[in-house]
Amino acid sequence: MTPVLSQYLEALKDNLRLDPAEELDVINELETHIEDRVQELKQTGLTEEEATHTCLRLLGSARVIARQIYEAHSQRHWKQAILAATPHLVYGVLFALNWWQYIGWGTVMLMVVLSIVLYGLWRGKPSSVFPWLGYTLLPVAVAGILLLYLPRGWYWIAVPVYMFLASWWVYSIIEQTIRTDWLFSSLMLLPVPIVTGWILAIKPWTGNVPAIFGRIYDFAPAIALSFLALALTIVAFLRIRQRWLRATLLILSGLLTLTMIAYYTQGRMSSPAFSILVLAMLGLFLVPAFLERRIRKGSRKFAESVVSE
Amino acid sequence: MAQRKELIKSSIDSLLLCVIEQQPMYGYEIIRELKRRSEGYFEFKEGTLYPALHRLENANLVAGKWELLTNGRQRRYYHITAQGRARLEDERNRWLNFLKAMNLIIQPVTP
Repeated sequence: MTPVLSQYLEALKDNLRLDPAEELDVINELETHIEDRVQELKQTGLTEEEATHTCLRLLGSARVIARQIYEAHSQRHWKQAILAATPHLVYGVLFALNWWQYIGWGTVMLMVVLSIVLYGLWRGKPSSVFPWLGYTLLPVAVAGILLLYLPRGWYWIAVPVYMFLASWWVYSIIEQTIRTDWLFSSLMLLPVPIVTGWILAIKPWTGNVPAIFGRIYDFAPAIALSFLALALTIVAFLRIRQRWLRATLLILSGLLTLTMIAYYTQGRMSSPAFSILVLAMLGLFLVPAFLERRIRKGSRKFAESVVSE
Repeated sequence: MAQRKELIKSSIDSLLLCVIEQQPMYGYEIIRELKRRSEGYFEFKEGTLYPALHRLENANLVAGKWELLTNGRQRRYYHITAQGRARLEDERNRWLNFLKAMNLIIQPVTP
């Protein structure tokens, strides 16, 4: 394979952002097309290099082809979109019907989420599994809240260990999703500032358990509404074809849901807390894009070093 | 030339369905067949073919299938689906009616 051809295929791969199996199919198909065309051009008297250059010029920009193929594949079927939105819908129902107080329902839900995530990972990580993957961060959040109830001496030992393990877990989940598309990672992280917003409004570190449960009980309909908003965002995200529209949808949905939390909790969330959450939401939206750039740059450098050896 | 490009762009789905109606074909074969059957009129920009084929496949109008050749290589052949045939039939009727009406009007009137 000539360097120009491998660069072309690399650019194609970088911009496709499809499920791995679909991505491999597209690359193989275009590679076969290029081989056929180069073979034909060589019969007209061109050298391998000249034939490859001509063939790639006739094919056009790798970035444009990749974007058009992405748009052809990116719209998911309604069934997949609804499956992807199900965890948010189920949590919405848990709060709407006030079943959140029964530990049995929470455990069943967590087991269902973990089973679907494992099934999704086994099936090659289809895009409908990404919102489910986000829920594996729930035990991390619960462990973080439980830290608040530790005796003081233990607190200073447990927090650094917790921070290290939580960061490692969050990073590895983000890395898994980034390999397909950083936008899926941002979609997966969208509930984080929203759930944090509710935790800040409920303040589980103040008052006794009945008082905390009372506050959750008061906010339950609004919490259900925010989960419904997340579910609708996922359905719309998976039905939209264009990347820029998907990105806009994520930012708008995050902003509107956080504003809704501030409105319903009537001042329980301070203005600085709200501003920090909005900034955190934008940060969580952009971090996957930044990490993807770094990962791709790193793997390109590695590939170049292998070739030069 | 620009008009021709616009015409191809707006009829690309019907053209592709027409070409693979009789027998399954792979990408490059489709381009050659279109050029041959249109006597060189439809010369496709190669990069536009694959996004169009993938769009048709996602809409269940065609189905792509990898087939192993005798020389050990693999090629992705596109087959028309039942849904694709129904769509083609609709498009064909629409075109023929349009052409008939156009011919009636566009022909110079003989005194």
